[in-house]
Amino acid sequence: MFQQVPAVKDLLRKCVRCGKCRSVCPIFKEIKTESAAPRSRVFLTQLLRDKELEPDSAVADRANKCLLCKSCTAECPSGIPVDQMVVAMRSYLKDYDNNKTKRMLVSTMFNNRKSLKRAHLLLQGYQATGLNHIVNKTGVLGLISKDLETANRLLAPVSGPIASRQIAEKTPAAGTRQVKVGYFLGCATNMFYPERALATIEVLRRNGCEVFTPKDLKCCGLPHIASGDTAAAAAKTIHNFKAFYQAGVDVIISDCASCSSMLQGNYYDQLFEQGLPEEIEYFKNKVFDLNKFLTDSIELNEDLQAIPKTTVTYHDPCHLVKSQGIKDQPRKILHLVPGVELVEMEGADQCCGGAGTFGISHYDLSSKILERKISAIKNTHTDFVTTACPACSMQLGHGLSKHHMNSQVKHPVELLAAAYKAAEQSGKIS
Amino acid sequence: MERSQLIANLQTILGADKVLDDKLDMLSYSYDSSFKARNNRYIPDVVVTLTSTDEVSKVMQFAYEHNVPVTPRGAGTGETCGALAIEGGIVIDLGGWDVIEEVDAENMQVQLRPGVIHADLNKYLAAYGLFFPPDPGSSQMCTVGGMVANNSSGLRAVKYGTTEQYVLGLEIVLPNGQVIITGGVNSRAIKNVSGLNLTKLFIGSEGTLGIVTKIRLRLWPKPKSRGILMAVYDDLEEAPKTVLEVYKAGILPSGIEILDASAIKAVNEYKPEIALPNAEAILLFELDGNPASVEWEGNEVTRIVNTRAVNAEWSTDPERMAKLWQGRAVTATAAARLRADGSRIFAGEDISIPLNQVTESIKRIKALGAKYGIGVVNYGHIGDGNVHTAPVINPEDPKEVELANKLVDEIHLTAIELGGTTTGEHGIGAVRSQYARQEHGAALDVMYAVKKALDPKGIMNPGKLLPKEGDNKDVSTSAGS
Repeated sequence: MFQQVPAVKDLLRKCVRCGKCRSVCPIFKEIKTESAAPRSRVFLTQLLRDKELEPDSAVADRANKCLLCKSCTAECPSGIPVDQMVVAMRSYLKDYDNNKTKRMLVSTMFNNRKSLKRAHLLLQGYQATGLNHIVNKTGVLGLISKDLETANRLLAPVSGPIASRQIAEKTPAAGTRQVKVGYFLGCATNMFYPERALATIEVLRRNGCEVFTPKDLKCCGLPHIASGDTAAAAAKTIHNFKAFYQAGVDVIISDCASCSSMLQGNYYDQLFEQGLPEEIEYFKNKVFDLNKFLTDSIELNEDLQAIPKTTVTYHDPCHLVKSQGIKDQPRKILHLVPGVELVEMEGADQCCGGAGTFGISHYDLSSKILERKISAIKNTHTDFVTTACPACSMQLGHGLSKHHMNSQVKHPVELLAAAYKAAEQSGKIS
Repeated sequence: MERSQLIANLQTILGADKVLDDKLDMLSYSYDSSFKARNNRYIPDVVVTLTSTDEVSKVMQFAYEHNVPVTPRGAGTGETCGALAIEGGIVIDLGGWDVIEEVDAENMQVQLRPGVIHADLNKYLAAYGLFFPPDPGSSQMCTVGGMVANNSSGLRAVKYGTTEQYVLGLEIVLPNGQVIITGGVNSRAIKNVSGLNLTKLFIGSEGTLGIVTKIRLRLWPKPKSRGILMAVYDDLEEAPKTVLEVYKAGILPSGIEILDASAIKAVNEYKPEIALPNAEAILLFELDGNPASVEWEGNEVTRIVNTRAVNAEWSTDPERMAKLWQGRAVTATAAARLRADGSRIFAGEDISIPLNQVTESIKRIKALGAKYGIGVVNYGHIGDGNVHTAPVINPEDPKEVELANKLVDEIHLTAIELGGTTTGEHGIGAVRSQYARQEHGAALDVMYAVKKALDPKGIMNPGKLLPKEGDNKDVSTSAGS
């Protein structure tokens, strides 16, 4: 119930409208009018809660004009979780949201493994036949829906089989098992970045982890809660935690910033009003981002061999740096890999503007935010861009290709895995 | 004029993309940080987002001709309803006009448009080794235009003074649309006593006399060195005594800030990494200048501080200094963290007291808080007597709101009684004008005369700064409601 969500019921009143949120909001930076400021969304939430404002599609539009990047939440002196209010608003205003493409994508692609595989096959065929280029050139999708046309442009190329087809449910540790890790293989990594998933498994395996990757995982639920569908998000969350609970894993790891931040329970008081189910409670404080787990929780195996000299820059995903306070850990990994030189970009922790379906539903706005990021990347003159979120990867990839830049987007773990591989090839490790 | 006609006319004058009239937009322009705006809705009829002097002039000509109230607005970070359309009409949003037009480094000045954010300006100026010294706590979000309108200052006013000391000239659009330049039409002089000082007349006039569209600021060379001394006290009343002792020793720190026990707790809750020590009070002395003098003064202030403080920490580490200074700067809103079901309110928050009365004022404010059963956080610019007070209440409880209004009124009256003023840097707006006669006596009538001369139709930010004529009561009992 909207009015009973703690962020709405109690925390809202803490907003003194100081405007600190204006100074950090990527959307406000582009639009520059007060209605684009996070404090305006807080105010509209208050008016909705107190029935001073009736729900309608105009308010829903305002609620949707937010990246859920948590820049405001992280910086709010009063401690207001603005993103939780926005999510509560979206749920409350779900029936007034007119964006059909977004809903279609969320309910079809980000549903379960079957739907993901189906989408993958379709997309693979579509891209392999070159049909996507024809569609892009003719703009035919634009005749059906502008958003669909945008989605088509934003989707990263898929090549090879989906990751879940390549990964066994159980991967034994190399050497003695120290931890039983549950790997949460997110939808986007699975479909668009299978090599990243394989690198994650490889690195975990080489660090005393037995890796359990459930075959029947569902989406983490973030796209659903972000589009107002709390019921679907709750059902998927329970399903996923049950899978890990039954497998008896010690911890849950994800290489996707958004998945790990969702699984850590940022929105759980909206999903589970009656308290957390046992399976979720069990994993409280046991869900980790991969970078953090590798650098803070275990002693990382440093038997690495240099990879060909390469310069990289690192983009902080909002769901890592603002949601989980993870800034140093991925950089530590990059510093560890021999042959890699990290060059910091200006504003590394500034949002890239992707934010899942936001980039589709608000393409122009998203592109403006992306432009700043691409320009910062350009100035580093590096070979690769690294980041720890597949949604950011897609957005950055789109920006790089728009600017005809050859740079690729990788997760730090891919470079680490390459260094293990090199060590293996050189006979340093077996 | 009918609202629809007003909107249509402005669209014709400016083009539709400059005019906001949607209901949700209007609601978004109905607030600032003030307690009064929390309890009332000041919804404008229309908002225009302007980025040229010509546009501002055209809007003013139109408003003047048709008697439409006009309220200029920067970032809306004020605490007094100053940028709110309390009589409806047009809000001119200048926040998007954030252009730094020219840095004249040789003449140590900059020309900029009103929407530039304070922190952005100083970031830009750093490349020239220059800075604009006033340092408001809201540096990251407030506009320089708003600073001029309110004569803002902040943490470094002790040594560097307030905005007015840096404004060399202004471009102003008068209520009738006429554009003037103060401080000399073509002047780049730093010293200038030619003519009546109209620049100072407009600074701090809170948008009631005209609209600032361009600002020429004097800049200072950025000091080469800086250090912060944190003094920790187990008795709040000892802290103000140290401040006087430091001055007596012939030392002028660039800032002296105080945080009481609850302010310390609030900061630690917001940013645990700042890790302020738990104490009854903390003083932060900022010293700047050349490296040798900063070191000498640091030692000297440490020696003085140690006679009363239980502990002192001297730091020249940029990271630690940034944390300490940031800690103080965020206290204003972090105070909300002290009560799970509450929020700080911006009301009675800005009294300014003679230095030798600061201890007494803090004692009295604490007693007033106890009298009304309201927790009050004390923090702020103790170096110039501008100690901020932050009542923390449940703002959604009407009883607490009523008590808070009484408390706020008494805080204001206490300030006047102790020989101070109701506001040191936040301004009057629509929340403190009821004390004007008491504070200014016959000078208030001269203020009316000035206002009438420049704004005969009373369309320029009406309801702000001056009480309505004939409504000049000495005191009020409805301070913030």
